[in-house]
Amino acid sequence: MSAVQPSPWTSAPAPVIALRECSLTLGTTAVARDLSLEVREGEFLAIVGPSGCGKSSLLRLMMGLLRPDGAGQVGARAEKLAAGMVFQKPVLMPWLSAERNVGLSLRLGPGRIVSKAERTARTERALRLVGLIEFRRHHPHELSGGMQQRLAIARALVAEPTLLLLDEPFGALDELTRATLNRELLRIWENAESCLSTIVLVTHSIAEAVTLADRVLVLSPRPARVSATVEVALPKPRSVHFDDLEQMDCFRDAVRSVRAGIARA
Amino acid sequence: MNAKDVLYPAVLLVVIVVAWQTAIRLLAVPEYLVPAPSAIAGAFDGALLRHAATTFGEALLGFVGANILALLTAIAFVYCPPLERSFFPFAIALKTTPLVALAPLLVIWLGTGLGSKVVASMLICFFPTLVNGVKGLKSVEREAAELFASYGATSFETFWRLRLPSSLPYVLSALKISTSLAVVGAIVGEFVGANQGLGYLVLVSSYHMETPAMFAAIVCAAAIGLILFWAVGLVEARLVFWQKVDRP
Repeated sequence: MSAVQPSPWTSAPAPVIALRECSLTLGTTAVARDLSLEVREGEFLAIVGPSGCGKSSLLRLMMGLLRPDGAGQVGARAEKLAAGMVFQKPVLMPWLSAERNVGLSLRLGPGRIVSKAERTARTERALRLVGLIEFRRHHPHELSGGMQQRLAIARALVAEPTLLLLDEPFGALDELTRATLNRELLRIWENAESCLSTIVLVTHSIAEAVTLADRVLVLSPRPARVSATVEVALPKPRSVHFDDLEQMDCFRDAVRSVRAGIARA
Repeated sequence: MNAKDVLYPAVLLVVIVVAWQTAIRLLAVPEYLVPAPSAIAGAFDGALLRHAATTFGEALLGFVGANILALLTAIAFVYCPPLERSFFPFAIALKTTPLVALAPLLVIWLGTGLGSKVVASMLICFFPTLVNGVKGLKSVEREAAELFASYGATSFETFWRLRLPSSLPYVLSALKISTSLAVVGAIVGEFVGANQGLGYLVLVSSYHMETPAMFAAIVCAAAIGLILFWAVGLVEARLVFWQKVDRP
């Protein structure tokens, strides 16, 4: 009588998203060539690379907004990804109030929530999470850039996604606002009560990538490949250690490794 | 609206009227050449207001009809690009054909009554709203469209909650242009063949050298344009509240 040993391959959780040998051509531009990567359950993954290297296209591939050329495969663990997306611009509807903007996705498509009470409850929870509950009746043009971007994050969170895809969401903000929002993002991700488990962040800031992420992928110039992967061993929860992170040796090591990866690319 | 926005133009108007009146008195300009403001005021009577009401009705019908039609056409163009490709050159051709040249034809087809004036007004109002409507409906940001796609929004939802509201700033600036054009169209129609309306009044008064009546009719025409423009401006301020709009 022999117990069946669990295979080490099946015990590893399936990746949330896997890109295999993906090439992407937009018009006549080769954006990515034979690019493979995995997004693991529960991780904070940052993707850095030179500007114009196709980072945003990569997120659009993951989201299913773009299809890879020919033989490339984009696999997701779930049939329908429960993913929220945030862009560099807040992309708010100027004619809707803050709460209407946040609740927009709850009124659209097959996943529409009919119950008004449920919609309101979810919207309020998301607004509270980003600290904008008292601005619920304001319109986007009455809010600052940082608040607008927080609203965009609330809108992504309102559908209670397990995965968040962020496309340089803080790129257009000033340094102070950026730091505040980085800390808030960590707090939301590390909050045990939220169902959000995995984040993919595209950024051109090495410091931001290292501060936030468990793992940093460095992309080569176009056509993009993954040229380096850097594991970041900073202590958790990072939202608690936030102010000290940049003084730590492992922060500097990670930054150095990412820089080396970019130089090699 | 600021109190100064009313006060300043009102003061200027009074200054102009007083200067005008004084100049006519001092220089003894004959009335058939340039009438004094007091003579123009004397030409305002019930008949004039009835003519003005006729023109106002024609312009309003033309304005509303043309803009509804133009918006529906813009939606059809945006959702069916071959339609836009085929029809757009003809829309431009229609725009470049002088309305004055078409007006006699309208009178032959539709008679000297309301119809020819409304259609003349519609012809001239149609184009700006069509062009701006198409532009507005296409003005949706790429990311906003992607957002709606990621929500699995139906194409009607995307139209109703994204495209249509996005087009509002464009459409409303076109409507403002249309207001003055609507009056032009109605008056051109009246010039060609009519027995009432401000255009008719201007024409008949010119035959009789009744210059004060002509001036009064012109003032009424300008007032109609202003009222329409102001009304659209009010609607704009309500609908497109997030944009800094021109004061009506």
